[in-house]
Amino acid sequence: MFTKILIANRGEIAIRIMRACRELGIKTVAVYSDADKNALHVQFADQAVLLGASDPKESYLNVDKIIEAAKKTKADAIHPGYGFLSENASFALAVESTKLGFIGPSAESIRAMGDKAESKIRMTAVGVPTVPGYTLDTGQETSVRELVKEIGYPVLVKAAAGGGGRGMRVVNTESELSEAIESARREALNSFGDERLLIEKYLADAHHIEIQVFGDKYGNLVHLFERECSVQRRHQKIIEETPSPLLTAKLRAEMGKAAVAAAKAVDYYNAGTVEFIVDPKTSKYYFLEMNTRLQVEHPVTELVVGIDLVQWQIRVAGGEKFPFKQGDLNQRGHAIECRVYAEDPAKGFLPSTGKLLQYIEPHGPGIRVDSGFGAGSEVTHFYDPLLAKLIVHAGNREAAVQRMQAALKEFIVHGVVTNIDFMQAVLAHEDFAKGKVTTRWVERSLESGSLTFGVQEFALASHMIAAALADMVFVGAKSQPAVSDETDPFSPWKQTNNFRVSEK
Amino acid sequence: MKVLFDSQALEINPSGDEYVAAIDDKTLSIQVVRAENGRMDLLIDGQHVTAYVSSDGAKRWATVDGHTMMLTKTSGAKRGVRHDRAGGLTAPMPGQVRSVAVGAGDAVKKGQTLVTIEAMKMEIRIQALKDGKVKMLHVKQGQTVEREHILIEVEE
Repeated sequence: MFTKILIANRGEIAIRIMRACRELGIKTVAVYSDADKNALHVQFADQAVLLGASDPKESYLNVDKIIEAAKKTKADAIHPGYGFLSENASFALAVESTKLGFIGPSAESIRAMGDKAESKIRMTAVGVPTVPGYTLDTGQETSVRELVKEIGYPVLVKAAAGGGGRGMRVVNTESELSEAIESARREALNSFGDERLLIEKYLADAHHIEIQVFGDKYGNLVHLFERECSVQRRHQKIIEETPSPLLTAKLRAEMGKAAVAAAKAVDYYNAGTVEFIVDPKTSKYYFLEMNTRLQVEHPVTELVVGIDLVQWQIRVAGGEKFPFKQGDLNQRGHAIECRVYAEDPAKGFLPSTGKLLQYIEPHGPGIRVDSGFGAGSEVTHFYDPLLAKLIVHAGNREAAVQRMQAALKEFIVHGVVTNIDFMQAVLAHEDFAKGKVTTRWVERSLESGSLTFGVQEFALASHMIAAALADMVFVGAKSQPAVSDETDPFSPWKQTNNFRVSEK
Repeated sequence: MKVLFDSQALEINPSGDEYVAAIDDKTLSIQVVRAENGRMDLLIDGQHVTAYVSSDGAKRWATVDGHTMMLTKTSGAKRGVRHDRAGGLTAPMPGQVRSVAVGAGDAVKKGQTLVTIEAMKMEIRIQALKDGKVKMLHVKQGQTVEREHILIEVEE
C-alpha cells in the first residue's frame, strides 16, 4: 500500500481525497497555485507544494511540475481527482513511467475512451447501444447531407476527441448544417488538435443517466447502479440523485450490464462512469461516453450503496482485490446532491466572485457537505465556481427531497451570489417531484416562465429589518458608510429591477 | 431613525427593551433575543426569526428563512419616497421623459417598455414588472422628473 499520496487537484475534491487517505493512514501532499495559497485544501494536507501562477496551465495542468512535486516530497502515488489532468492519458503515462502509482485506470483505457469516435466503434462491437450517427473525417462535407437526412434532424455535431461540451452544436435544420460543421471543426482543432467530428441524432427530451462501475486489477468489475443527472444548465449538472425515478428494475439491470460490458471492452479498472442518454418515451438507452475518473457526484452512490469509492480507488490502485461481487451490492434509500455554485442564476448563471463573509454549512442526520471553502475564503475567477456539494440521504425520494430543502435553508453563504434559491425552486417544482426532468428542462422552463426563483422586486421587510438592526446591535461592528445618492446610480448591486440601462 | 435600502425606506427606533420598525404603513415590534457573529435571533411581533447579516461597505447580505438577499444601504431619504407595491414605477434617477409608449387603460405585458427617460447620456427604459393594465399615467413626453418621481401605475 502507498505511504504518501500527492493530490493533483484543488477545492472540495482535494479535501475529499485527503480524508480517505487519513482514514487509511496515508500521508498527503497538496499542490497549489498562487491564487490558492490560503485555500483550505492546502491547510488540510500534511505537506503542500506551490506549483506556480494561478493560470491552470502554470499549475494544476502542468504535468512536469506536478511530477517534480511528487518526487521532491517522496510521494509514491498521485490521485488526479476530477477535471484538470484526470482524463489526460499522457499524464497517466508520465506518472506510470516515473514508477509512481496512478490512482485511476490505465493510460490505455483513458486514451481509448477519450476518443469519442473510437469508443463508439468499440461499444458497438460489444453490443452496447450507441446514438445513431457518423464519424466525419476531413473532406466529407458533400456526402454528409444525405447521411444526416437518414438520421433525421435535430442532430448534434461534436468533436471526436472532445468532451465537456466544447465544440458541441445542435443543428435543427439542413440550412444550419454547413456552418455548424465548419465552426465545430475550428473549435475541435483549436481545443484538441484533432478536427474529426461526430454527427449524432440529438435527443432533446432525454434523461442523462450514468452507471458507476468499479474494478480491480484482477479482472473483477461490477457496477454500483445509476445516477440520474438530468437537471443541467448548459450541459453542466446541478442536481444529481440515485436511484433514478425513471428506471425500472429491468432497465436498471440491463443498463448495468451494458456499462460493465463497456468498461470491459477497454480492460477497465478503478472507478469509472458510463454515461447514457435514455429516451423516456421508448425506454431506449444509448451510450454517450465513459468518464475514466471519479465523478463530482460520486457521493450519492457512496451513500446509497454504502461503499467509500475514494478509499477503494486507493486500495485497488495499491494492488488490493475489490471484495464485492455484483450480488453483494444493493441500493438502500435515496440520495440527492445539490451543487452549490457561486453564480447568479438571474444573470444567466454568471460566476460570482469575492470573499466569503459568512459561510455556514447545514448539519443533521443524513446530511453530508463536501466543500473546499470556509468563511474568509476567496472565490476567484480562475477556477470552477463550485463552492460545495450538499448531499442528503433518506429512506425514500420524497423524504430525501424534504431533507434537502430543509438543509438548503440552513446553508448560509454571504459575499458571493449562489444558486441556492434556484435549486430550491427546482426541488419544489412539480416536474421534479414527478421525475420528469430532462436535460433541457431548466433552459425551457426558464424560457417559458414555469420555473421562477428568488428574484424579488422589492426587498422583503424582514430582510430590511435584519440589516438595519445588525448595524445597531453588533457591538464593535462600526456602522459602514452608506452609499450616497450621487455615486454610481447604475451599480448592479442596487437590484432596482424595474429599469434597464442602455447606451444611447 | 430612517434607513434606506435600495431606496426603500424603513423607520426603526429603540423603544424600551424593544425596537419598533415602520415599513409600508406597517408597524412591527422587535425583540433581540440574541446577537453574535453575524447571527441574530429576533422576535418580530412575537414570531421567532433567525437572521444572518454581513456587511461589506454599503452592502448588506441578509438571510432570513433560508432566503438570502443583498441590499445596498443608501442615504438621503427624499420627501415622499414611495415604491408603490401595487405597481407604481418610479424614476431611478433625475432626467427627462423621452417617450411614453402607453396610455391609461392599456393592457401591458411583463417586460414591455412603458416609458423611456433620458439622463446622463443614457436611455433608461422603464418596463412593466408584470402583466396588467395601466391604471394611471403621471408623466408626459418632455417632462423633467426627479429621482423617485412616480411615472406610471400598473394594476393587475
